[in-house]
Amino acid sequence: MVVKLTDWLDERVGWRSIWDNVFKRKIPYVNWLYTLGSATLLAVINQGVTGILLTIYYVPTPDHAYDSVQYITTQVPAGWMIRGLHHWGASAMVVLSFLHMLRVIFLGSYKYPREVTWFTGVFLFLTTIGFGFTGYLLPWDQKAYWATTVGTQIVAVTPLVGNWLLRVVLGGAELSPLTLTRFYGTHVWILPAALLLLLGIHLYLVISIGISEMPKQRE
Amino acid sequence: MPDEKVLERKGFLGLVTWAIGGLISLGLGIPAISYLIGPSLQKPEGQDWIRLGSSKKVEFGKPTLFKTTIQRQTGWIVNDEEVSAYIYTEGGREFIAFSNICSHLSCRVRWIDDQDQFFCPCHNAVFDRNGLVVSGPPPRPLDRYQVKIEDDQIYIQGV
Amino acid sequence: MKENEKKQYLERYKKAKQDGVPWYPIILFKDAVVALLVFLFLIALAYFMGAPLESRANPADSSYTPRPEWYFLFLFQLLKYFPGNLEVIGVIVIPVIVITLLFLLPLLDKGPQRHFMNRPWVTGITSITVIGIVTLTVLSYLEAPPPTEEIKGDSVAALYTENCASCHGPSIAVPEGIDLHAVIAQGTHEGMPAWSGDLSTDEIDSLAGFITSPGGNDLFKQNCQECHQISDLVASNPIDLNEAIDQGNEFLPHAEVKIPAWKQVLTNGEITELLNFLAAPDGQRLFAINCASCHGRTVAYNEGEDELREIISQGGLHLEMPSWRESLSSAELDQLAAYVTDPVANSESKDLFDQNCTSCHGSRIPDSATIEQTRQTIASGGAHETMPVWGDVLTDAQLEALTIYTWEAAQGTSLEIGKTLYAENCASCHGTFGEGGQNPARADDIIAPISSGEYLKTRDNTTLYNIIAQGQPNFGMSPFGSEFGGPLNEEQINLIISFMRFWETNPPVDLPPEVQLPQDINLTGQEIYNTICTQCHRPDGTASAPLLNDNDFQENNSDQNIFDSIKNGHLATPMIAFGSLLTDDQIQELIEIIRQLEPELTESSITPSGPPSFSADIVPILEADCNACHGTLGGWDGSTYNSVINSGDNGPAVIPGDAENSLLAQKLLDTQETGTVMPPAGKLADDVIQIFLNWIKAGAPDN
Repeated sequence: MVVKLTDWLDERVGWRSIWDNVFKRKIPYVNWLYTLGSATLLAVINQGVTGILLTIYYVPTPDHAYDSVQYITTQVPAGWMIRGLHHWGASAMVVLSFLHMLRVIFLGSYKYPREVTWFTGVFLFLTTIGFGFTGYLLPWDQKAYWATTVGTQIVAVTPLVGNWLLRVVLGGAELSPLTLTRFYGTHVWILPAALLLLLGIHLYLVISIGISEMPKQRE
Repeated sequence: MPDEKVLERKGFLGLVTWAIGGLISLGLGIPAISYLIGPSLQKPEGQDWIRLGSSKKVEFGKPTLFKTTIQRQTGWIVNDEEVSAYIYTEGGREFIAFSNICSHLSCRVRWIDDQDQFFCPCHNAVFDRNGLVVSGPPPRPLDRYQVKIEDDQIYIQGV
Repeated sequence: MKENEKKQYLERYKKAKQDGVPWYPIILFKDAVVALLVFLFLIALAYFMGAPLESRANPADSSYTPRPEWYFLFLFQLLKYFPGNLEVIGVIVIPVIVITLLFLLPLLDKGPQRHFMNRPWVTGITSITVIGIVTLTVLSYLEAPPPTEEIKGDSVAALYTENCASCHGPSIAVPEGIDLHAVIAQGTHEGMPAWSGDLSTDEIDSLAGFITSPGGNDLFKQNCQECHQISDLVASNPIDLNEAIDQGNEFLPHAEVKIPAWKQVLTNGEITELLNFLAAPDGQRLFAINCASCHGRTVAYNEGEDELREIISQGGLHLEMPSWRESLSSAELDQLAAYVTDPVANSESKDLFDQNCTSCHGSRIPDSATIEQTRQTIASGGAHETMPVWGDVLTDAQLEALTIYTWEAAQGTSLEIGKTLYAENCASCHGTFGEGGQNPARADDIIAPISSGEYLKTRDNTTLYNIIAQGQPNFGMSPFGSEFGGPLNEEQINLIISFMRFWETNPPVDLPPEVQLPQDINLTGQEIYNTICTQCHRPDGTASAPLLNDNDFQENNSDQNIFDSIKNGHLATPMIAFGSLLTDDQIQELIEIIRQLEPELTESSITPSGPPSFSADIVPILEADCNACHGTLGGWDGSTYNSVINSGDNGPAVIPGDAENSLLAQKLLDTQETGTVMPPAGKLADDVIQIFLNWIKAGAPDN
């Protein structure tokens, strides 16, 4: 019965060839440092799932943001856990992607023929930083408000276009409800879209080119 | 046979990998489900005893207005709702709690001490000290709440 | 990298792949294990650390020290080393350079070497950057300022600002002994509303405390607010408050709390201020909290104010209860004990309690645990009630307020009781106001007024007492004193006397000045009317005398009635018997003049002259009687001309010129076919409705 079903699916989806070409493919033997990439991927999945769940209750307006976050944390069953996972997952994503990047640098994996994989990786890292910065404001507590106030002021230092840039980031002259909504929109739509696109290319390249082997000192 | 051993090991590692995948899915999935169905688990409203204040503040034979704010939760939004009730006692033993909301069109009634009656300014309704309609349009007496005294504090229920 | 190097690499990689292992399950297993560890670590963090949430964002709070998320801290720290104009370097130049270098890394380092030992530049710069980031992050943590503490708001001051400050300014000077709670609750003076409808008793109490003792509010904020809501403490029992302050940590509810010994932290003056704030010097509230449990509504007390102050201040065994077993039967004692112990279940014995106990206990039933104990106490009597030494408990201001309130209330009480006794026993012959009248016991005899100043001034209390107690058999008055077989005891008679004495200073009826009589009484009827009658019978309605042109007066009095009234006068009123001054002819002349008053002044005062105006006549009525609901609750809207005419579910409400078919008129007249009469509480006055009808009949002009 199960065999019949899997055969039926294979005829139509061709999962066996994917399975053989992707999962069964041989790759050079690599050590534990090479797991950092997939650990980062787990953090991304965790952020995606918990983030989507948080939008079920969260409201991105100054008069409701704080209360809804508090409600999630204290009232919704397992809300503390969903929010806890998202909060700590953010740190984990930054740390793991940073370590992953160090591994790539130290082991020279960015070299031919994997330059494009590296470029997408750098953009993925910047996206992660963007996630961290925009997500920080959303709880609308004191820390969020003031850290964002200071953080966005940094933009204004840019020569020539600084003030204009600040207005773009804040959605106005100062931190306001408009800032909250644009940070929210960026956090849940623009950055995830960018992340999915970059991550797709990144993973496709890793699989098609193959993971780099451990370099030896004497070559 | 070394080949068989390798196969056995591979099968085991594969199994463990799938198990770990399942474990992480469960670890995210179970909290997610309880998180999503959360609101259906909330208990219904109006069942709490609301503390109004010290029973010593009730003057004998004269309905005394107590006000307190309670927090009503609608989803994540907490509304501060003002609860007011007239507490009436004859001898300090038995207490009656009235709503101060007119049973006609929900205006606020006031106790007029000189005339020994509740008066509703909207349509000149008059209730006596027991909350019964004396004159005016209200269809029924003033609503009453459950009331209890604990440690000299007045609690009402059913708001 | 040259072409041959590329080829070399690809060949080497192909070989490594062939010597390698399948991705699944060997490598993927490792990934899964690490992923699981990371996930478990995250769950542990979420469980043990939680997700932090500080207090709500407050843009007005400039004291907050902002700190970014930890992974930005190194950048934050970096900025400290680039002050002023150099900021652009730390903020823009360095990050841009780092990111650019990072991005271009594969293009900058194109050599074939892959091992980190063979690439000293890349390895070196990366290591230095990582060390730098870690160092800056650690430094940032070390230099972090201590978190600032949050300060709670001042709720009472806010209450004052919101409700009182707009009229009273920042503070109010209150004379000593005033019942501030009552003033706030009832709004006694001009322009001040009665707050009792809008503020709770607790709020009024705290306001009273705030006004009389502003310093106490500050002390409360400093010392108590961390644990106590103001509403929990205001008007609490002063005995408890005193104990809490006296005993510090040894006060039982405070045992587990970390508080100082208040006596050492606060000066005596501060303690007084705090007590005055928490239990405002407000006699009525103090009486309700401290005294009502034993004394009921008021204390019956007839001595002076100073004696009362002394009694309250000293407290002690001032109450001697009689031994009730001498006057009550055993069965009655049982009933009474049962009632006191459980009044609800034994309500049939309430009469017994009312008869014997309420004069001292008031309507509050004493607390008691067991029937046996209660019965014992009632039966044996004695000094079972101990009053606290209030002088030790209350502050001077509180004691003063309580004394004045109690004394004044006691004054009022005896007067009230006296009034009731008078009404029950005396008023049937002497009249409600002591004005006298026909003697029911003896025909053709008039009882003279006893409320006149003349009567009261010429009789002292002993005389009055004797008259009431012994009666005046010659004039048909039976004895009222119990010693002479009457219904009243000594105290009751004294209460009646004090009620009568009250008439001396407050005449029961509003008597106009004595009627001025001209020297020469030989005048025409018109002249007599103008000079004498109109002194009291004024058309402006200020005098208590009946208006002579009133319809009721004219219809209910025959000429003979009027003649008798003028000739014989009315007793105990300024209407003297004019028969001794005027001839019968003159009286007849007056009657004719009075009768001629009729046709004037009855119609024209009500109907307004000219056509009714919407803005002047209709709008004020709408605003006063209709717009509380109409305009806010939907349906017909009485706020503008157009909405008055056209709005409503069954509109138009007004058909100009046709009052009978206008719904507005029908609703006012209660002739409508749908709905109820308006206002729902009952029809407006006829003349008000007439204004509406006239306006509609005149074409409902918008003028």
